[in-house]
Amino acid sequence: MSDSNKEPQKPKPGDAPKPAVNFLLMSAGSIFTSMIVAGFLVGYALDQLFETTPIFLLLCGLLGFIGGTQKVMRLSSKLDPVVEEKKDDQKS
Amino acid sequence: MGTVEYIQHHLTNNHIGEGFWTFNLDTIVVSLLLGALIVFVAARLGKQIEAGTPGGFQNFVESILEFVSTNVRDAFPGHNPLIAPLALTIFLWVWLMNFMDLIPVDLLPYLYQLITGDPHAHLKVVPTTDLNTTLAMAFSVFALIVFYNIKIKGVGGFIKMFLFHPFGKFFVPVNIVMTLIEEVSKPLSLALRLFGNMFAGELVFLLIALIGGTLAVGAAALFWAPLQVLLDLGWLIFHLLVITLQAFIFMVLTIVYLGMAHDEGH
Repeated sequence: MSDSNKEPQKPKPGDAPKPAVNFLLMSAGSIFTSMIVAGFLVGYALDQLFETTPIFLLLCGLLGFIGGTQKVMRLSSKLDPVVEEKKDDQKS
Repeated sequence: MGTVEYIQHHLTNNHIGEGFWTFNLDTIVVSLLLGALIVFVAARLGKQIEAGTPGGFQNFVESILEFVSTNVRDAFPGHNPLIAPLALTIFLWVWLMNFMDLIPVDLLPYLYQLITGDPHAHLKVVPTTDLNTTLAMAFSVFALIVFYNIKIKGVGGFIKMFLFHPFGKFFVPVNIVMTLIEEVSKPLSLALRLFGNMFAGELVFLLIALIGGTLAVGAAALFWAPLQVLLDLGWLIFHLLVITLQAFIFMVLTIVYLGMAHDEGH
């Protein structure tokens, strides 16, 4: 098991995307959804704290949506460089 | 017993206590037994391990170790000797708990009712269809995330993460709320996805079981019984993939979240 703690190698052009990252993309939907749910939860808690219902609920829900989108984009962009470089190789 | 009662009966835990202090005995006992099974098999294999020509089971376990090890290498950027054993434990334990879903839905509850002599005794044998299990595991991982965040980045670094991430120093109030949402979403995404998938899977098994149980009357059983077997087999094969995938995703997400806690730039 000690192998698992070696420094990770950077992917080279043409390398297949790493399986862990691939499977992580499958959970992109749940990450996105949980960000929105967490946003509403935090908003609800803040509204209860400051008695401002429903201002924080809506604002935090929106923030959760923005954060969720950002996370999914970051997650999916991890595969892009390898795919793009592969396409370039095929053209040349 | 009607259709609704049958489903409700199967989805009710055998519990003691009231309100917050309710203990789901079936969930606790089954998950502990499965954990003990992993420890027992690992200890037994550890004693019999061979270096030269390993046997079939040792080969199988080594392939699981290699699989988990590769995933930790891929998804975890830093160095921490705890991560790989933790990932392996999570994968095996969650997989075994999910696997209980593939045992015929009426078999164990029926045996339990025979043993106790109570025809209405509840027994829900799949611990991951209980939100308490998945949330407990998710909160344990979350506690580790907070621990490593503070250990690696320091208390100052942890507070800075809340103040300046992700929109920079000019949006401190928004950053605090945003990071709070991000942190709350981690245990939520871990727990709710596993629970949702397993609960839905169990429900489909129950609905398939109902085909033979309630619709087959007389000669109609000749049609409904084979249909139930066919559907059950199909859903079982598909669900074998689902339980493995869910255990795997829980493991990978744990590694990734702990990796983010080890990343000082995050």
